[in-house]
Amino acid sequence: MKRYLLGASAVAIAVAGALFVLWPRSVEAQPHLAESGQLRFVLTPASTKSGVNSFDLRITDRAGNPAQGAEVVVEPAMPQMGHTIAPITAGPSEPGHYQVGNVELFMAGQWEITVSLGAERVVIPLLLT
Amino acid sequence: MKRTVAILLLALGAVLGASASASADGAQAGGDIHVAQTLGGRDLTVIIRRVAEVPGPVHVDVVTHAGSPPGEITLTARAAGAATSTTKVVLGAVPGFHSGVVHVDRPGPWELAVDEATIPFVVPALVSSPWENATYGGFIAAGVLLLVALLFAVFGKPGLALVPTAGMVAAIAVGVTAALLSPSIPPVAAPGTQLDPTYDNINDPYRRTSVTDFSRPPVNLVPSMNGEDLVLSLTDGSSGRPVDDLLVHDSAFIHLVVVSPAGTLRHLHPIRTAPGEYRARLHAPEQGTHAIAAEIARRGGGVQLLRSSIDVSGTSAARPHDGKADLATEVREAGRPSTIKARFGERDLQPWLGMLGHMIVVGPISGGGPVNAPIWAHVHSMIPPTPGMPDQPDESVAAYGPDVPFTYSFPLPGKYLVWIQVERDYEIVTVPAVVDVPAAKGVSEK
Repeated sequence: MKRYLLGASAVAIAVAGALFVLWPRSVEAQPHLAESGQLRFVLTPASTKSGVNSFDLRITDRAGNPAQGAEVVVEPAMPQMGHTIAPITAGPSEPGHYQVGNVELFMAGQWEITVSLGAERVVIPLLLT
Repeated sequence: MKRTVAILLLALGAVLGASASASADGAQAGGDIHVAQTLGGRDLTVIIRRVAEVPGPVHVDVVTHAGSPPGEITLTARAAGAATSTTKVVLGAVPGFHSGVVHVDRPGPWELAVDEATIPFVVPALVSSPWENATYGGFIAAGVLLLVALLFAVFGKPGLALVPTAGMVAAIAVGVTAALLSPSIPPVAAPGTQLDPTYDNINDPYRRTSVTDFSRPPVNLVPSMNGEDLVLSLTDGSSGRPVDDLLVHDSAFIHLVVVSPAGTLRHLHPIRTAPGEYRARLHAPEQGTHAIAAEIARRGGGVQLLRSSIDVSGTSAARPHDGKADLATEVREAGRPSTIKARFGERDLQPWLGMLGHMIVVGPISGGGPVNAPIWAHVHSMIPPTPGMPDQPDESVAAYGPDVPFTYSFPLPGKYLVWIQVERDYEIVTVPAVVDVPAAKGVSEK
């Protein structure tokens, strides 16, 4: 009986290990931080998959106060393919908070998202699977 | 008791084996090769379909475009030491697909001759990778050892059964390890794209070389005229030898753009007639200095743009482009992305060179004309990839558009000549336009 238990537990450990190794993982949508001379940009994509995406942008100055600006311009590009898509402009939903919707990142791979507010601009890398 | 454990182990092995074989199939055989060819007075797209078995047939589709005269062309597949296979393809008056079949009898570096044009291509060998062998070998060995262990147990030798059981565990460990690690093993350098293809490296693609940097020297371009044919001579910038390792990129060996003094554009795809020698016919050229630019990609390197000019002693008058489209342009100041959207009415555009549309940008134009324009660009409007379809759609799919958007950041202010090209009804439609790009305002402004 004891040996049976031992065998069963060994099998259970092996199965658990196999599940742990083989379990499909998806990349979490993380906030991406980039800083320019005056401002601090935090971009959170809605998804890390290719397709229609949307960005949640929070822009503050270095002290943490919401940045002032009428519109933010987002320029997605895929350097590896030598391809850019049309820039998208968005107004603030509240001071320093911008919602950029309907961004068609149609291909998986490494994208470069250039975000500019006034003369301040940053480039944020975004890997899509 | 022992039997229960054995059954459990067997079940575990089956579960792991099923998942392992799915991830072990790493190397994919090559896809279709699409090559645009300006062959004499014809604009052809030659599609070499994926070779499924060797020896076996190679299906070749020759796509003709509007204005291509009917006639007959000869397809010849040849390789060193192999039997030559020839077939004739009759090109009809209606533009479209015309098929032919040639045969290959061995994997290796082959060459498809379409009349005087030659297209090198690789017939890959079906070789399973070492990690595939370890995976399958491990599980097969485990199965055999399990059987041996069971036989020992049945014939009352439980002590001896321990030996094959231990071997089985080791074999499963080998199989599982190989299967789990195979996706993270870097791919070997591919013959044909990174290495010069030879019989040796095609038949043994998993032999690794110590080379990790595959880039090659730049190329010198010398154009000359031979009758109406523009002959391009490509030589290596380091050794002076002919450059004979051009890759098919964006469906051609060379994307040659010729702009006449009057501002007419030709987008040609020269044929390879000899190592380092490419030709394209300039049908009815104008008199004067033509600006030319060639986009090429060398094996193991990136794409490079070679610019030059050529004096042509033609007699023909300039023929303006007759393509029409509604252009919606949003031009921003130099350095910021401008968008140009061409609307073509119906949703029946075909992919040309694997793309929905092409935009050639030459400028800023000053006194010297296109020859002295500092900026020369080739912008693509891409066809969004279809999930589960690794091969690009060919020209028979007329279901794209009607809007063809382009985004380009004009680097300098000034007047640019722009041509937008799409394909409809197997005809290349060229829409000319002029774009005035304002200078960047003060740095403080957007």
